Amino acid sequence: MLQQTRILLAALLLTASSPSSADGERIAVMTTNLTNPHFQLVRAGADAAARRLGASVTHYVPSRADSIPEQMSQIEDLVVRKPSAVVFVPADHKALIPGVERLNAAGIPVVNVTTRAAGGKFVSFVGSDDYDLGLAAGRHLLRAIGGTGNVVIIEGLKGHVVSMDRVRGFMDAVKENAGVKVVASQTGNFQRLPANQVMENLLQAHPKVDGVLAANDAMASGVVEALEGAGRRAKVIGINGTKEALDAVRSGRMEGTADYSSFLQGCLGVTAAVRALRSQVVVNEFVFPANLIDRSNVDRFDIPTEGRPCPDYEALVK
Amino acid sequence: MTTTSTAGQDKARVGVSLVLSRELVPLLYRLLVAALLCSTLALLTESFLTAGNAVNVLRQTSLLFLMATGLTLVVLTGGLDLSVGANVGLSACLAAIALKATGSPFAGIIVGLCTGLAVGLANGLLVTYLRMPAFIATYGMLWFLQGVTFTVMAGETVHGFPSSFRIIGSGFLFGVPVPVFIMLAFLALGTLLTRYTTLGQQIYAIGANREAARLSGIPVRSRIILAYVLSGGTAGLASLVFLARLNSAEGDIGEPLTLPAIAAVLIGGTSLFGGVGTVFGTLMGALVLTLVLNGMNLLSIQTNWQPLVTGVIIIVAVFIDTVARRRGAV
Repeated sequence: MLQQTRILLAALLLTASSPSSADGERIAVMTTNLTNPHFQLVRAGADAAARRLGASVTHYVPSRADSIPEQMSQIEDLVVRKPSAVVFVPADHKALIPGVERLNAAGIPVVNVTTRAAGGKFVSFVGSDDYDLGLAAGRHLLRAIGGTGNVVIIEGLKGHVVSMDRVRGFMDAVKENAGVKVVASQTGNFQRLPANQVMENLLQAHPKVDGVLAANDAMASGVVEALEGAGRRAKVIGINGTKEALDAVRSGRMEGTADYSSFLQGCLGVTAAVRALRSQVVVNEFVFPANLIDRSNVDRFDIPTEGRPCPDYEALVK
Repeated sequence: MTTTSTAGQDKARVGVSLVLSRELVPLLYRLLVAALLCSTLALLTESFLTAGNAVNVLRQTSLLFLMATGLTLVVLTGGLDLSVGANVGLSACLAAIALKATGSPFAGIIVGLCTGLAVGLANGLLVTYLRMPAFIATYGMLWFLQGVTFTVMAGETVHGFPSSFRIIGSGFLFGVPVPVFIMLAFLALGTLLTRYTTLGQQIYAIGANREAARLSGIPVRSRIILAYVLSGGTAGLASLVFLARLNSAEGDIGEPLTLPAIAAVLIGGTSLFGGVGTVFGTLMGALVLTLVLNGMNLLSIQTNWQPLVTGVIIIVAVFIDTVARRRGAV
């Protein structure tokens, strides 16, 4: 059953991107769900890197979003199948440590991407810092509203490390601005509809809202719809840099978004794995800078995924 | 369960007046729950009793209620539809793609509705002709639909629809949101159907005692299939209203909706064993759930406390309902 699921997913997702040489490295890329646009871009980046390097990539995605047990059984499967290396996004930063240890014990090199695992041995970590993204997004928005006024924070999934880090970044940005008041901080579960309804409700309780800090772009879009529906105006910022958010930034509906470097995370993850296998130098960790995307630079970030090349590893990590 | 095996036929035979008296008391209790919640919130925050907030609450209620109306019929037959959220998700995504590809609201609406209806029909066939338990059949359907949705969407978001389409989710008529009119229409249709048509009475009879219903000549299978098809249809319609409200569709759009829809039906007093319940009760259930979120947001209750508050209110609401059911049966 699992085998079938995996093969099906591989067939559906693989985009058979790498008609590589038969002796090329076989990289297993493990992401955590099929719905988040971020992971879609990570997978696209991984494929692009494999294309460039002549390696092949097989994708492993739990059919149940962010399922820890499913990732665990995928790892057990991999221990048997022995790919050259694994590029791994853990569904939980702690719960999958035993899985990483099994891969370590099997002698399969592992590169950690996106969510930093709290244990296990990795060749390298590639990702963005959620706190930095929250801080950068927060600072940008508060500057845009003139460093004073009422702001609303829309949190992600409660108890989720990404949400907590991003919100902590927001709050630290708020602390730098004495004139800014957080009138409400409520959860939108990282999803559009809950964020939309929560914002509709909050607008009733707070007649003056100048800015909204949303912990991801889908929620930011829900917030924008709520504002427009209520005929209210406030500057909205999100995090991730999804295509939808870039369009909203360009048309002025969103103030900005912070770049999660999703495509590049996939690129660098696979590249680091292949370089390690080829005994080339790999950095211990590469954390992307928290770049802010606003109207002035949006076009630079709006690159079609198809045919997008991976950058040169050495030039990037230098 | 206080309903006897003859309740279905009783209703069919004795007619409207007895049914009303039997259900009037629970109905009043259900109104009482909503009224209690409203007055508490009105006391706690002055932003509750405002026209703007009323518009919000009604619009959000209508989104939930639309999904739950058809589901009510299914539950009345003694069935269940766990795939209702996933159905909304797939219908919304396919409708979004059709809208985007053709630019025609009509095409989007047709695709959304047909997807919903087709899924409902599939559920109905699984449950009747293949004799599968509704819970498992629709649970399987949930996964199937999610798989199709994720594959079709591939992690992408489809967004930006013509304003002529967005009216059904975001538009206003005489200062009242369009979805609220759709909700009222469905409340009226659902009530008429369950209360005053043979089909409605047959649905109650099947839920009360399927064997007795079959023996009395009711075409049980086709009626059950019809209930699932109607449930699929309201899911399809709800998907369009969601789409028009949010102006975008993504793979997980239906995910947060299934449990609230089922909860709305059950909080509204429809029995999970079938045969007992009303569409109006479902409306009250949807209203209570919406009020809980609305109240927590208005009062800025901390995120970590919200599940606890939600749980307490649901349990209290169901407790009041249980008391009402006992009174009503006497």
